[in-house]
Amino acid sequence: MSSQVETRPEVVADPARAVELVDCDVHAQATEAMLAAYLSPGARRMLERYGRRTPRITEWYPRARHSGMRVDAWPGKPGHIWGSDPELTREQLLDEFDVDYAVLEVLSGQDCHDHPYFAAEWNSAVNDWQLEELLSFDARFRGTIAVPHEYPELAVAEIERRAADERFVAVLMPASTAEQLGEPKYWPIYKAATACGRPVAFHTGGYVDHRGAGYPSFYLEYHVGNGIVMQSQLTSMVAGGVFEEIPGLRVVLTECGVAWAAALRWSLDAAWEPMREDHPRLQRRPSEYIDEHVWFTTQPIEEPDNPEHLVYTIEQARLSGRLLFATDYPHWDFDSPRQALPRALGPELRRAILCENALALYRLPRERVV
Amino acid sequence: MDTIDCDVHCAPASYDALFPYLSDYWRQYITEAGIRLTGLAHAYPRAVAAPAPSSYAELASEVLVGEAQFRFVILNCVTGFETHRNPYFAAAVASAINDWVHEEMLARDDRLRASLVVSTVSTDDAVAEIERVGEDPRFVQVLLPVRSDLPWGHKVNQPIFAAARERGLQVGLHAWGRAGKAPTPSGFTTTYLEDYVGNQPIAQAQVLSFVSEGVFERFPELRVVVSECGFAWLAPLLWRFDKDWKGVWREVPWLKRRPSEYVRDHFRFTTAPAHLPSDPVTLGQLLEMMDAAGMLMYASDHPHVHGNSLSLLLDQLSDEDRQRVMWENAAGLYELGK
Amino acid sequence: MRVVVAPLRSFPSGERRIIEVGGRSIGVFRVGENFYGIRNRCPHQGGPLCLGHLLGDAVADAPGDARLSADPLRIACPWHGWEYDLDSGQSFMGMVAPGVRSYGVGLSPGRSLGSEVRAGAPAKRVPGPYVAETFDVNVEDEYVVLHA
Repeated sequence: MSSQVETRPEVVADPARAVELVDCDVHAQATEAMLAAYLSPGARRMLERYGRRTPRITEWYPRARHSGMRVDAWPGKPGHIWGSDPELTREQLLDEFDVDYAVLEVLSGQDCHDHPYFAAEWNSAVNDWQLEELLSFDARFRGTIAVPHEYPELAVAEIERRAADERFVAVLMPASTAEQLGEPKYWPIYKAATACGRPVAFHTGGYVDHRGAGYPSFYLEYHVGNGIVMQSQLTSMVAGGVFEEIPGLRVVLTECGVAWAAALRWSLDAAWEPMREDHPRLQRRPSEYIDEHVWFTTQPIEEPDNPEHLVYTIEQARLSGRLLFATDYPHWDFDSPRQALPRALGPELRRAILCENALALYRLPRERVV
Repeated sequence: MDTIDCDVHCAPASYDALFPYLSDYWRQYITEAGIRLTGLAHAYPRAVAAPAPSSYAELASEVLVGEAQFRFVILNCVTGFETHRNPYFAAAVASAINDWVHEEMLARDDRLRASLVVSTVSTDDAVAEIERVGEDPRFVQVLLPVRSDLPWGHKVNQPIFAAARERGLQVGLHAWGRAGKAPTPSGFTTTYLEDYVGNQPIAQAQVLSFVSEGVFERFPELRVVVSECGFAWLAPLLWRFDKDWKGVWREVPWLKRRPSEYVRDHFRFTTAPAHLPSDPVTLGQLLEMMDAAGMLMYASDHPHVHGNSLSLLLDQLSDEDRQRVMWENAAGLYELGK
Repeated sequence: MRVVVAPLRSFPSGERRIIEVGGRSIGVFRVGENFYGIRNRCPHQGGPLCLGHLLGDAVADAPGDARLSADPLRIACPWHGWEYDLDSGQSFMGMVAPGVRSYGVGLSPGRSLGSEVRAGAPAKRVPGPYVAETFDVNVEDEYVVLHA
């Protein structure tokens, strides 16, 4: 599998109905009350009595602008929050920007370090909520399977439970986990995803603990640090031999930026050759694994003063067939489909990013939904 | 061409070499506890590195004679980066190392300069050590490990920068640090490959910290030299940093300029490892993306071997720009050759 | 085009109205005795600028020494937070002119003085790259009138 653009084979009879825009990172968000409705009585009682145990990352690093969300994304309906009202999401995203497909990443279960069986129910509730409230509401929505990722057996069970529904196009995990993503602990999840033909999307966030350089003080550092975390995790996946172990695995690095990939590839390749005894499972150059197994969503796309430089890094990292456009609606730093991609990318690369790469990866129909 | 080598390692072969600079109490502590210097074996395993020169004679024969005309060499001794949580021991070891570097190396050759090392578990002790030896013009910077309990820009660490600047010292951030600490933002590693490459994202986080905390507003003359952590990652980081800052500048309203401007003015990077691709077109792009001639300072990082991709980059520079990387930037920063 | 926005007495200070004029969405703001008109479209990525928060400037002479200055005359786009001076439409986002060490306190609001630096904009901030379209708004016979 090369990193060049793959196009879907079918031809659409009516060009006016051809898909032009796939948004690969959209945040629908259920409230606790909405998810509680899907819990067993025992789990619901536990939630009422003990609450969620894990502090939210927003308590550590308050989002210094707009509480992290577009101000106009709060529905103003009682009981609703940003991302919880599919009507508003449809209006502000799908209809406003003429989005043909939107891949939902519901992060309600990402920082869940509660009791394993609660975590399993909680994530299952996320998936039930997606099905009932969003995927059934508008055929343009696609879902991702939230899983209790720290408990791989339970995560595999949830994947198998949802696999038959093709509207779930990927398995969702956070980028920050208790162990590094390359560790064997998580391999059963990757294998189960691959077995049912789904990529694994790793989304910024989760169990966030900034070791290495210690805890940053500001949301600014933390936010820029999302790209740094993903560099570390990609290194772990490559060095851990995940792609040797699971040759069919595809991963989507989500909401971490893209321009850092080239320099990391050079470093990994430079280090791999002279130190081969250290990592005997790696049969090939790290960059080859990355070429074949790794996709990136675009948001927040980096904005060099000279847009040509962004094109350079995309070429340097061989990403033309691997970038997936994302708005990250309704986060405050969301990318507008009309304006976020610089013209310097050229029409072919823009088209690949805006829809072709996603159509191929997620095996979406080429025809728009009516 | 005149050259300054900005990162050459030296290290005492064992605690015996440091004993002359340690009290009876600490000598007994070391002996009773059976503490050995590992030479940072986790960072520089046999597979990738020979031991650092442990005497002037070794340094001279390995580095000072040879093709390159080194006018000056900046010595870095990272022995003290080992895991010392006992703050009194950490302070004593740092002082002993500085005394050893001075006696064994600096005093014997006018071409040598060095970083001074400090306790990394007590800011007060770090300041005290800078006050003790920092006036010596042969010490040109304060060396800190890139891995830290709190990012180095944090306010609790800033007295170190004040003490350094009072004595005209720069700050060096060098690869590695505490072995016992999970070295990545995501947990423990299982391969040397991850640890080795892992210095780079950690250095990136430190860059963010120095700028966000307003260190360069407080200390406008301070420069930070990032050593042995690569540099090809810099431009994309700055694009992201500038972009995010535009939205949340209110969180750090003491920043008067874009983050990338602070970095360009206040950070320098040594050239080993370079980890550069070999094709000239890509190298040319990299030169466009970052001000390589202004920000890089040559280093061999003896005795650590990283590959020789740097020479390809240097080939693309004009003579004038090559001169800046090989000599001028460091000469200006460390006030050498005047 | 003269557009009557509202009777003066029903448009208290601190409020805003967003109206459509000739296919353009325009926000009208009252701050104290002053009125401002600004296009409801952020030049950055087209966000609904006039739905954003009104913010006073945040200044700091040294790390940690942060304070707000007197006047809420900047509107922050509800999307990415680009901030615009209500009077001039000029964007600012944190940069300060070189050589400046401290700020004056107590900015005074007002209309344009016809000089390069429009009153209400902190004189020492470096302007950002965007300028939002602004419109004159005044009071005529107890009515708030937009000139668009």
